[in-house]
Amino acid sequence: MMPASEHGRPPALALRGIDKAFDGKPALSGADFSLAWGEVHALVGENGAGKSTLMNVATGVYAADGGAQSVDGRSVPLRGPGDAIAAGLGMVHQHYRLVNRFTVAENILLALGSQGAARSLREAAALAAEKSREVGLSIRPDAVIATLSIAERQRVEILKVLLLGARIVILDEPTAVLTDGEAEALFSFTRRLAGQGHAVVLITHKLREVAAHSDRVTVMRQGRTVLAGKPTAEISIAEVARHAVGDPLTRVERPLSRPGAVCFTVEDLVVRRDDGTVPVDGLSLSLCASEVLGIAGVGGNGQQELVDCLAGLLPPAGGRITLSGDDLAPQSIRERRRRGLRVVPSDRFDAGLVRDMSIAENLALTGVREGRYGSALLLNRRRMRDAALGAIERFAIHGAAPGRTTGLLSGGNAQKVLLARELDDGLKVLVAHSPARGLDVKAAQSVHALIKQAVEQGAACLLISEDLEEVMALSHRVAVMNRGRIAGTVPVAEATPAWIGERMIGHA
Amino acid sequence: MLDSAILVRRQEPGFARNALCYAGGLAAGLALSVLLLVWAGVPPQAIVNELVVEAFFTADGIAQTTTAAIPLILVGVATVITMRLQFWNIGIEGQLWLGAIAAAWIALGDVGPEATRLPLMLLAAFLAGAAWMALPLLLKLRWGVSEVISTLLLGSVAFLLVQHLLFGVWRDPATGFPISAAFDPAERFAPLGWGQLHAGLWVALAAGLLVWLLLDRTRLGFYAKAIGLNRTAARAAGMPVYRSIALLVLGAGGLCGLAGAVILAGTEHRLNQSVGVGYLFSGIVIAFLARSSPLAAMLIAFVVGGVFTAGGVLKVFYSVSEAVVVLIQGTVLMTVLISHFFSAYRLTRPTWKTAP
Repeated sequence: MMPASEHGRPPALALRGIDKAFDGKPALSGADFSLAWGEVHALVGENGAGKSTLMNVATGVYAADGGAQSVDGRSVPLRGPGDAIAAGLGMVHQHYRLVNRFTVAENILLALGSQGAARSLREAAALAAEKSREVGLSIRPDAVIATLSIAERQRVEILKVLLLGARIVILDEPTAVLTDGEAEALFSFTRRLAGQGHAVVLITHKLREVAAHSDRVTVMRQGRTVLAGKPTAEISIAEVARHAVGDPLTRVERPLSRPGAVCFTVEDLVVRRDDGTVPVDGLSLSLCASEVLGIAGVGGNGQQELVDCLAGLLPPAGGRITLSGDDLAPQSIRERRRRGLRVVPSDRFDAGLVRDMSIAENLALTGVREGRYGSALLLNRRRMRDAALGAIERFAIHGAAPGRTTGLLSGGNAQKVLLARELDDGLKVLVAHSPARGLDVKAAQSVHALIKQAVEQGAACLLISEDLEEVMALSHRVAVMNRGRIAGTVPVAEATPAWIGERMIGHA
Repeated sequence: MLDSAILVRRQEPGFARNALCYAGGLAAGLALSVLLLVWAGVPPQAIVNELVVEAFFTADGIAQTTTAAIPLILVGVATVITMRLQFWNIGIEGQLWLGAIAAAWIALGDVGPEATRLPLMLLAAFLAGAAWMALPLLLKLRWGVSEVISTLLLGSVAFLLVQHLLFGVWRDPATGFPISAAFDPAERFAPLGWGQLHAGLWVALAAGLLVWLLLDRTRLGFYAKAIGLNRTAARAAGMPVYRSIALLVLGAGGLCGLAGAVILAGTEHRLNQSVGVGYLFSGIVIAFLARSSPLAAMLIAFVVGGVFTAGGVLKVFYSVSEAVVVLIQGTVLMTVLISHFFSAYRLTRPTWKTAP
């Protein structure tokens, strides 16, 4: 059964019964997908549902264990990405594959050269200029990638894919790193592309994007296609969400506690980088016990530096960080942690967990120096193991055993390991930076539930996130960070989209 | 049809598979080494005799092999320490030379009473090795200068220093050769009465066991593991990152220095221009083959000691060059490292059905 498109042509891309397992663990089991020419097709599902894997199979990055694939009605066996390119398939990956020190034209030449489509830099530049005019992407061929914004880099990637002859364009989570305005521009571009006869696949987990910007939607769950090619006009967001999650979506609730007295303040904080930039420029905020203060804002406005500075990883150039009346700015990382300031960084395997250490070791990472796992000299491995068993049970960390390597856990369970460690005794202020980033809906819910519980038990939480929904759902008060400062703070009831939007883009 | 096989990464290879792959790599390396020796003109039955029977199964052979293993244990476990920290010490020989110089200085100058002469030599050698490591360490921690370059270059400087001394103030007054005068009996390790084997063995074994305890059982070892695997996370967890690195790396330099003193006081009984040669490469080979485990490093130091012994014999009787001995070590290292690939990945053959 193959749904023919409205043009009466065979589907642009048809995948049937695709199986793919990684080391025996199935990532796709009999997944189907059918894409018509001239449409924007949303491919939706939670993290780990198999969306990206399916498209990586379609583009020859992964070899399927079984199944069949046809492009424009013809069977195409793929021996590698080259075959997919030849068949007119192109994918823009979540992490761009550009050489940052090269210019746009040089990157294009790098991609086209091996296909014989361009032989010289001048030719590549000419091709790039012509194509970008044709499809309406403004890109200067002589610009160096490193000087371009994320959105512009994405356009270079799209251009590259089109110049390689792609008629089927697959975009993997294209808006994850874009501002709302940039995302709008991208969607009108994909619409134009579809209008010119291309077929576009939009892999996303943002359901609102699906409703507004796609013709049809396919939903995947646990490696299977649970909703195949339903016209978007005939389905509601709630229904798509129900298919994606499997059970009704319950929203996170704000902690029920009432904010108490002010316990944590930041005054005129300045962080200066070696290159002279000032990512945090006179930032002030105050936080009460049992309160969540959510900081919204477009990424790159100093959030990362603020978090690193609070954690003690970056020294402040000025200002005060006060916890219960004591200035923390001159204190060591260890001393801040002792006094109850805990940080959950946005990249858990960077400043949070050690990927190649065991779960028990990661849970003990901060406690060893405090003498909780043995004397100053000797380590008590048994105590580490027992503590880990307790934490695994209390925090319901699935797939965990004390001796198991932490990197083998799924994102949500790894995040629980980190939270189990940071929400430990003595927590007063939790700085959580995008704690649910990259997690599927259920894992995000359990992470939010843990934060909620900690706050209800009296902790203060500074929630820094680019996900506005997360900020609105959890916070008592909402602040907006813009150009290294707080552009305004209001109770959550007064934080209208208009109020937030104005401060996000305004030049505070 | 897709007919080429593809690679799949294993999530958890398991102990049995790891052990099997390691053994396979070792066997392949030894087989290649035999071919190399045959190609170099050694008769096959002599290889079995010299390499296996003589080095590991005769009393004299075992004594010789164990003697050769003593300094190898020290540089091996020292390299295990630095490897855990992802600090690449390419100056093993430099620190060893400095240790040898310090020990010779105590011995030739008759510093202190005879009863404490030998312990003083060992202590001085340890401190000298650590001191030679201090500069690259400082450069690395303070300014991020690559330790690969600084330790390597300081190794050459150390050797020039040895030559400067041997062609100058320490030239043997009896013969005029560029070797130092022989040490007094009080400046030598007591022989154990079995070949050349000497009491330095206890020093090496004790150092090896201490390193094992330090890395696997103590708080500092825990820090080292975390720092080596993810320095940012270790720092964010409040660990004393710089202090731990400094302490352990200086200690590793000290152990290399100690190896210099042990060679001088154990077998050579004087300083010459060849005592330190080959230890840089061997130390790295041992640490890699041991997968940075101190206990395994001690065992592998013994095996490499056997290769040293057999190599010596092969050199004398079959005029095989020194390079072939190094080549054998390198071959075994390469095959064992390659074998790791087979425990980390598996091959599969996907089945594509053609679309109807």
